[in-house]
Amino acid sequence: MAESTPVAVDEESGPPEGKRGARVITREMVIMLTVPPVLVAIVFGAFVWWRQTAELDSVEANQLRWSELRTLMWEHVQLTVVAAIIVVLVAVPLGIMLTRRQFRAAVPFVVGIANAGQAAPSVGLIVLLFLWLDGGFWTAIWALSLYGILPVLRNTIVGIEGVDPTLVEAGRGIGMTGWMTLFKIELPLSIPVIMAGVRTSLVLIAGTASLACFINAGGLGEVLQTGISLFRFSLMVTGAVLIALLALLIEWLGRVLELVTRPKGI
Amino acid sequence: MTQGTPSQGQSVSGAELRLDQVVKRYPGQKVPAVQSLSLTIPAGEIVAFVGPSGCGKTTSLKMINRLIEPTSGTILIDGNDIRQESATSLRRKIGYVIQGGSLFPHMTVATNVGVVPKMLGWDAARIAERTDELLDLVGLDPDRYRDRYPRELSGGQQQRVGVARGLAADPPVILMDEPFGAVDPITRQRLQDELISIQRELGKTIVCVTHDIDEAIKLGDRILILQEGARIAQYDTPENILAAPANDFVADFVGAGSTLKQLSLTRVRSLDLNQPTTARVGEEMGPVLARAEAAGDDEVVILDDRDRPVAWPWLRQMRNKTKVIGEPRENLVTLDEAATLNDALDTMLTAAHSKAIVTGDRDRYLGVLDFETVTEHMRSAEREAAENVENAEKAESAESIEDPAPTGEAGHG
Amino acid sequence: MWEFIRERWDLIGYNALQHANLVFQAVLVATVVAVALAVVVNKFRFLDPVANTLSAIGLTIPSFALVGLLLPLTKIGAMTAFICVAFYAALPILRNAVVGFSQVDETLIESARGMGMTELGILLRVRLPLAWPVIHAGVRTSVQMSMGVAAIAAYVLGPGLGGYIFTGLSQAGGANAVNYAVVGTVGIVIVALIADLLMLLLGRATISKGIRT
Repeated sequence: MAESTPVAVDEESGPPEGKRGARVITREMVIMLTVPPVLVAIVFGAFVWWRQTAELDSVEANQLRWSELRTLMWEHVQLTVVAAIIVVLVAVPLGIMLTRRQFRAAVPFVVGIANAGQAAPSVGLIVLLFLWLDGGFWTAIWALSLYGILPVLRNTIVGIEGVDPTLVEAGRGIGMTGWMTLFKIELPLSIPVIMAGVRTSLVLIAGTASLACFINAGGLGEVLQTGISLFRFSLMVTGAVLIALLALLIEWLGRVLELVTRPKGI
Repeated sequence: MTQGTPSQGQSVSGAELRLDQVVKRYPGQKVPAVQSLSLTIPAGEIVAFVGPSGCGKTTSLKMINRLIEPTSGTILIDGNDIRQESATSLRRKIGYVIQGGSLFPHMTVATNVGVVPKMLGWDAARIAERTDELLDLVGLDPDRYRDRYPRELSGGQQQRVGVARGLAADPPVILMDEPFGAVDPITRQRLQDELISIQRELGKTIVCVTHDIDEAIKLGDRILILQEGARIAQYDTPENILAAPANDFVADFVGAGSTLKQLSLTRVRSLDLNQPTTARVGEEMGPVLARAEAAGDDEVVILDDRDRPVAWPWLRQMRNKTKVIGEPRENLVTLDEAATLNDALDTMLTAAHSKAIVTGDRDRYLGVLDFETVTEHMRSAEREAAENVENAEKAESAESIEDPAPTGEAGHG
Repeated sequence: MWEFIRERWDLIGYNALQHANLVFQAVLVATVVAVALAVVVNKFRFLDPVANTLSAIGLTIPSFALVGLLLPLTKIGAMTAFICVAFYAALPILRNAVVGFSQVDETLIESARGMGMTELGILLRVRLPLAWPVIHAGVRTSVQMSMGVAAIAAYVLGPGLGGYIFTGLSQAGGANAVNYAVVGTVGIVIVALIADLLMLLLGRATISKGIRT
């Protein structure tokens, strides 16, 4: 399969020649760190106001109970965070391994498979796993983790390969072992790139988690799903807005994470 | 207003260019970038605009093709106000060459050269013919280069294509902005030689902005030296500027070594060239060797069917062959007849050869220049220059310019 | 499995074409709109961060959520699917087009202007061809992404192969549930691969040899 990756959420992959290791805080980053939380706060405020003042029938009122919404949101967060942690635990070591000399030949192969997998629609993946493993939280986690692995894997490989080889050599030259060069030089220098991949994965996973409702794994998708099947605009819009707000918030957290994990001096 | 036609009574296809009290003031700027510039550039001459950076030379240039609109004043080409027509149609009649050639990377060499003719609605056959003609003029073999892309060319070749593109629609006026700023010194010298050679053939009116006084001296029939605000410090021929700088600013700008710079006023063409044995590609070797031996030559200059030198082998390299063969012309370093003596020395030193082949229009072979001729001439020129400067100083009872004392330095090597 | 496919071959083929068609149309419209927007952004550079922020926020919103937001306005069916797919398709193209245009060397533009090209001529003959490799990469990303978005839009009865996935879901436990889900999922992967190949060929055909990497 071709070398394109259908991951559009990754700003860093915009221009084709974009292998940028060290980055400064760009204006875009400042904007993306400030605008979304404000936007989320305003829209959420508006939602709360509407929820408190709107006249809802019993079905709507039941679906939109605060306790219910809180539960669904918590499920959504759990799905996202657990899947993201698994992704990082699997993809980063895998990426590191693939950049070691003895495994380097496997890189095109593994990335190729990951790319092709990314071309599979997320709904399809979820539904297939559901039919195979039955529903529930852990099935959803399987699907989300599989789906979120590529950006972290790819950015880990790109990040480590982007480290100036003379630095690694210099490390070796002063007597560092392979592990020491990895932890003291290669990883710290590629952290920004890896974290950009983590953020991309987070967004991807948070979005896909809205489909978890199809396989009885909960999440905010349930409100939307109920809204569509009952054809109630209030439910649909509530579900959609909350999903979107949560995704924006998670994206923002990803950016904050990116900022705080960046080693000083890069 | 035509102050003397350019040298050698060549054909002139250029047009007179006149700037009358041209002012450019940017909004919010106290001092105008260009304060009332008035100037006449005679048809068929090269005028070099020089001055320190920020002096307004580029602004002045860009007002001529209305890339920058003057705040006030008029600019006339061949007596016509440039505001009479739209900026785009004006620009199609003015060649524009900028640093590095600025070729469009997604277009082939031929397409690049044909951009303006195409906009002017020429038919494809005429454009193709014109393109080949121009590539040939700038010394690039059309068959080899026309379908290449800019990134497949060297910097010098790109710049040549840039010049060809500027000439494409046969505009009477050509504007050049630091045209040879992006290439190495040796290539720059060759490109300058070629431009002079082309100009000899075409007689355009060329305005060339440069920050390099040596380039200005070499290229310019006249030099316009500008101070901040595009105020004219001096506008005269290189000879006069060097012999009699109008003020301290000019004297400083042309530099302490200005007497030595006079050497770069002397062109190779004014020296005596040797005429060693020549041969043509494809000729039988026997008679060639005989001719060379009769003349006492160790080397033979080999010419192609258009009289262009292609190789310069020793006799001993030729003996075991039956026919004269050529080599790719690019491999042979030659000097244009318009090259300066400094250029000639540089070329000989770089080529590690005490002689250089001299060519004229379209690389036609003229003769061979040897090292002794150059150094001999330089010595006498230095003596003359020193006298000139002394005279000029006396004439102006000048307040001491710089110590002119030329040393033998230029001749070492 | 094979029997399942053989029996429904015509319908599957039809739906695959529908899927491709939806993506093709949406991406086409998205490309035109996004490039036009990018031209405006390139003209007024202060819009640059605005465009980037909008496109980043847009891409963060899950497609299922957008479906929910659109439904009250566009009702269930192909229109919702089309708008949804086109919306996401436009974002990577917009971002790449803004980058692509901004990477065009200003001296080339001035050179073109100095030769007497009109602004429209400069856009069509200089800016667009030079930015095209980057824009094309964006379009290619878009096509891939749209394949998945179209699958989700099938939940509100958008056309294409996504419907099979939801049929599989609703028939869970039934004999053909897996068959449906596999046909939908793998079918979309195959359509995506073919589309990507075609995009690659399109790139070969439309990106000037002088700037191809």
